[in-house]
Amino acid sequence: MGTLNYIARRLLFSACLILGVSVILFALINAIGNPIEILLAERPGVTEEIIEAVTKYYGLDGSVTDRYFTWLGNLARLDFGTSIIYNQPVGDMLWSFGIETLKIQIPGILLALGLSVLVSTLAATRQYSRTDFTVIAGAMLGHSLPGFFIGILLILVFSYWLGVLPSYGAYSTRNLLWDSEIADGLWHMVLPVGMLTIFNTATLTLLMRSSLVDVLRQDFITAARASGLPERRVVFGHALRNAFIPVLTYLGILFGLMLGTAPVTETVFTWPGLGALYIMAIQQLDYPLIMGETMVITVMLVGATLLTDIAYVVIDPRIRLG
Amino acid sequence: MAEPLLSVEDLKVHFFTRDGVVRAVDGVDFAVNRGETLGIVGESGSGKTVSSLALLRLVPPPARTVGGRVVFEGTDLLTLPTKALGTIRGRRIAMVFQNPATSLNPIYSIGSQLGEILLWHEPITRAEAEARVISLLTLVGITDPAARLRQYPHELSGGMKQRVGIARALLCNPSLVLADEPTTALDVTIQAQILDLLADLRRRLGMAMVLVTHDMGVVARMADRITVMYAGRVCETADAATIFRAPQHPYTRALLDSMPRIDHRYTGGARQVLPTIPGRPPNLLDPPAGCRFHPRCPDAIADCRRILPLETEIAPGHTVSCIRRGSQGIAA
Repeated sequence: MGTLNYIARRLLFSACLILGVSVILFALINAIGNPIEILLAERPGVTEEIIEAVTKYYGLDGSVTDRYFTWLGNLARLDFGTSIIYNQPVGDMLWSFGIETLKIQIPGILLALGLSVLVSTLAATRQYSRTDFTVIAGAMLGHSLPGFFIGILLILVFSYWLGVLPSYGAYSTRNLLWDSEIADGLWHMVLPVGMLTIFNTATLTLLMRSSLVDVLRQDFITAARASGLPERRVVFGHALRNAFIPVLTYLGILFGLMLGTAPVTETVFTWPGLGALYIMAIQQLDYPLIMGETMVITVMLVGATLLTDIAYVVIDPRIRLG
Repeated sequence: MAEPLLSVEDLKVHFFTRDGVVRAVDGVDFAVNRGETLGIVGESGSGKTVSSLALLRLVPPPARTVGGRVVFEGTDLLTLPTKALGTIRGRRIAMVFQNPATSLNPIYSIGSQLGEILLWHEPITRAEAEARVISLLTLVGITDPAARLRQYPHELSGGMKQRVGIARALLCNPSLVLADEPTTALDVTIQAQILDLLADLRRRLGMAMVLVTHDMGVVARMADRITVMYAGRVCETADAATIFRAPQHPYTRALLDSMPRIDHRYTGGARQVLPTIPGRPPNLLDPPAGCRFHPRCPDAIADCRRILPLETEIAPGHTVSCIRRGSQGIAA
C-alpha cells in the first residue's frame, strides 16, 4: 500500500514539474520576441503587412496567456505544431529523428551497464591487484577524456587508418552494405555506439567498483560466506545487488539526459538524430521544433527520474516505508 | 580424553600492509571438545577475532593465513578444497557475528536469506525450508515467526536481529558455533538474554561453542574452558574455575586484577584505585623479542627478553606460556 501511495505522489510531483517547465519554456521563447519579425526582418520585399499576415497565420497575434493555453492544449493531444523551416509536423520529425537517437543511445547505455558490471566485479573482487589497478586506470582515462575526443579517436583508427567502419551517417546513400538495409544500419551504428559505450562504461565502472568494494567489506558478506554459500552467489546475489543501489541514480541520469548528450555524439558522427535536429532548430530559430523537443527532453528526464525512484523501491526494501 | 572436535595448531595469520607484515596471530594453539564452550579472551588487537575468522578461511585481505593446521573432525580445514570447505561452513561450523545490524543482508527478507542457506545445503523443498526456518525462529525466542519471515532486517530491533543471527547459525544443526563478541553491540539487558539463549541452546542441541570476547564477565558465565590471548599468542589455557581461582600467567593475573570487584573497596587503604596494566599492547609490526608481554610484565626477568615461551602443560588441562611458570621456550 505504502508503495502505491508513494508512486502516486511521485507521479503527481512529476506532472507538476513538467507543467512548471512548460511555463518557463514558453516565457523564455516569448522573451526572444516575435520570431516572424526576427526571421523576416530586413529581407528585400518584406513589408509590415506581410509580417502581420504571417504572424496571424501562425497564430502569434493573440495574448501570451491565450497562446500558452492553446499550445498546452495541443501538446496534451500530442500536437506539437508545424516546423517553420521544414514545414513538416514537429511530432513526426521528433519521432523519426528520435528513433535514430534511441538506436545509438539505448545500446550505448545497456552495453555499458553489462560491461561495467563484469569489469567492476572483476576489479572489486581482486582489490588492489594488478587487474584492479588496470581497471581503475582505464576507467579514469575513459571518464576524463571528453566524449567527442573518444569519438574522433575511433574515427581516426577505424575509419581513417583501418578503413573498416563508416565515420558518418546512419545509412549509406548508395551501395548498401551486403545489400541489406539492416546490416548497413547496424554497421553504421558501431562507432557511435562504441563511443557512448566507452564513455558510459568508464563512469559506471568507477561508481560500481567503489560501491562493490565497500559492500564486499560488510559483515553480511562474511556472514554469507560463513554460511557456506559459494563465492559466485555471495558476489552476484548478495554483494552486487547492494552495490547497485548508488549506481542506480547515475543510470537514471544517463537515461534521462540521453537527449542532452546527443548533440555531441551526433555532431561527431553526423548522425541524423534529435541532438543534431535540436542544434539546427536553435540555429534557425524554428521555435515550434525547439519547444517540442525541449518538452520531449523534459518528459524523458522527469520520466527517468520517476523510474529511478520506483526502481529504488523495488531494489531496496528500506525505502518502502518512506 | 577423546579426540577434540576442533584443534588449532600453530595458526599464523599475518597482515601484509604497506608498512610491513603485521603478525596479528602468530602461532596459536587451542582445542575445543565436543559439546563444550571455549572462551577466547583478550584485549582489542590480541588476535582473537582474526583467529576465529581464520578457522573457516574468512580472513579478509590484506590478511593471509600463513601457517598452521585447523583440524576439524579429522580434516585440516586450511588445506581443504574450496568446494569441500563449503560443506563445512554453515553446516558443520557456523558463525554468530558481533554486530547484528550489519551481519544481515539489508535487502533480503529474513525468510529468504535464512531459507537460501538451507536450500543450498540440504535437498529440501521451499516449503520444508520455510517450516524449518519458522521452527528455528521459534527456538531462538522470536514471537510470531511466520510474520517475521517477510520482514526485513531494518524492521527488527537489535536484540531480535541477533536472535535471527543465531537462528541462521543453527539452521543446519552444526556441531560447532563460533560466536565473535555476540553481545558487544547490544544493550546490557539484551546481552543477558542473548547469553542465556546461547547457553541454553548449546546445552539443548549439544553443540560446542567458541566464544570470543573481551569481557571476562561473559566468559565467567558461559565458558567451560578459557584461552587467554595477548598480542597474537596464547598466554594460558585452563578450565574456567582454574583461570579465575588460580591463574598462572602474569597477564591473566593482571587482567583479572584490573576487573572491578564488588567485594573490594576502592575508596581507601592499599587498593585505592582499580589497578591497570601499565604500558600498552605492542605494535605487531615489530613485536618485542622473547615473550611479547615482557615489557609490561611485573615478573619479567632478563631471560624473558630472549626466550619465546611455548605453551606447556603444568597441570592436567592447564597450559601456560611463561618461562617463570616452568614453560619451555626457544631462544630468539
